Amino acid sequence: MNLREFYFDPANAFASPVTLWISLAVATALVLAPLLTLALAKAGRLNPATRKDVLVRTATWAVIVPAVLGPILLGRGPIVLMVATVSLLCYGEYARAIGLFRERLLSGLVVLAILVLAFANADLYYRLFVAMTPLTMVALATGAVLRDSPAGYIQRVALALMGFLLLGAGLGHLGLFTAFPNFRPLLCVLVLCVQANDISAYCCGKAFGRRHLFPNTSPNKTLGGHLGALALTAPLAAWLLSVALAGTPAGNIWHCIALGVIISTGGQLGDLVLGSIKRDVGIKDMSAMLPGHGGILDRFNSMMLVAPAAYHYLAAVNGSPETAAHPLLNLLRN
Amino acid sequence: MDPFTYKPASDHCLTEAERVQSVQREPGLVGVIGRRLACATLDVYFALYHRLTITGRINIPGTLPFVMVANHESHLDAMILAAAVPRPLRHRVYPVAAADVFFTSLPAATLTTLFVNALPIHRKKVPARAMADLRHKLVNEPCGLILFPEGARTRDGALLKFKPGIGMLVAQTPVKVVPCWIEGAFEALGADTKFPKPTRLSLNIGPPLDFEHVSSDREGWEQIASEIRGAVERLGRD
Repeated sequence: MNLREFYFDPANAFASPVTLWISLAVATALVLAPLLTLALAKAGRLNPATRKDVLVRTATWAVIVPAVLGPILLGRGPIVLMVATVSLLCYGEYARAIGLFRERLLSGLVVLAILVLAFANADLYYRLFVAMTPLTMVALATGAVLRDSPAGYIQRVALALMGFLLLGAGLGHLGLFTAFPNFRPLLCVLVLCVQANDISAYCCGKAFGRRHLFPNTSPNKTLGGHLGALALTAPLAAWLLSVALAGTPAGNIWHCIALGVIISTGGQLGDLVLGSIKRDVGIKDMSAMLPGHGGILDRFNSMMLVAPAAYHYLAAVNGSPETAAHPLLNLLRN
Repeated sequence: MDPFTYKPASDHCLTEAERVQSVQREPGLVGVIGRRLACATLDVYFALYHRLTITGRINIPGTLPFVMVANHESHLDAMILAAAVPRPLRHRVYPVAAADVFFTSLPAATLTTLFVNALPIHRKKVPARAMADLRHKLVNEPCGLILFPEGARTRDGALLKFKPGIGMLVAQTPVKVVPCWIEGAFEALGADTKFPKPTRLSLNIGPPLDFEHVSSDREGWEQIASEIRGAVERLGRD
């Protein structure tokens, strides 16, 4: 396989039936959602405010879906670029929300570290990806010294490192999936199920939610919502993964169920992590970039924990997809 | 420096389009890098095309907040004053520009934001809320402002009457007001000129003025405007 095919091979976009099913399902949902909303509004079942809210959210989904699904279908290169862009945008929102963006040097170092992670993902250079955590820690701890102002030193370094770990290294694991041979269906299942998890938690919470689990962190989250999301998302993920991973050790149904549980619980925990950050700072949304949704981080929060947990489970069961190929480094060496 | 406290960006709830047109704008890493590149470009332009000379730089306070005011002869004026500000402070110094000229569309607002770092103000009818927002930004962010209290460019080179809005911004605050005089901008890009001429420009910066003890009422604002005008006029005669 030449370098171009390695990074860009839309010809194989639908090699797995899972990718095709998910793409068709999402496209159908995007077309049906506004039509259904308009029909319900016409029948008098939706008030104008809800109708407007649903239409705005759907319009935003119509931008998010191609922006995420498009790179997955195109190949490894676009995926790595998409993951790096999402990481950078999410870090930007985090830094602006807590005020860390005023620490230009620390924010600059985190941005640099995220770009190095993108290189590590593009080059399938797993050891560099792993090394970036201690290297970034040292860089931030040293960089913060240069201002010669010890007051608040620990807070500044800790907040910058937290941003890197959650949004750089955490989300960056999505790029590591490109080292697996069947990365497309895996990423499609992750993205679809994490979003489906959010929606089912909301719907089940509305329908069955009585007992509030974390009233101080997220007053709208209920035990019914959590269990409902788990009951709906885990089987869906397990079924799709059993097809995507067929023929590999992780294709065993019990491993697929375990991955489904990881996706559902990890997604909900990620949501609670961001909820805690927002409550601590005293804001509702991370930004206003996505109309109807808040910020990009409000949409990708669930992925912060799901991506590393699912990656390492798969790597443990199927064997690490590490490679010595280094397509980019070899270009430089030759 | 104080221990780190959570302080979200003042524009954190705004969309990108709203941010460039808002007085609450606070630049991030990308904004600061873009602004520094734009400043470097403008420095080269003023040095080579207009041979800009600046005297009295020492009068610019080393810390924020402060307000720089000058006679208004051309659209170059805000950039000339910004060129005198020390580099580390430049991205935190905002010229206040007419919204009906520079912020009429999103592309125009974006360019004005990038190259001039301007904040919009509506000249015809300045709401009290807009002045309160500017004063809040000036004192609490803190930041620097570049203002032309005449409210419009001179049509004949003569200094116009200063509007009292400047008084509303600085009365009973510790904010220093730095009077400046721009020479040559009227010939370079007067109100009737479309393309800048390569004439020589000079900027004379006077000692800062303090209005902490002037009352914040109509009489005080008029007094402040009058004192600042006098200081600017004296610099022009020097």
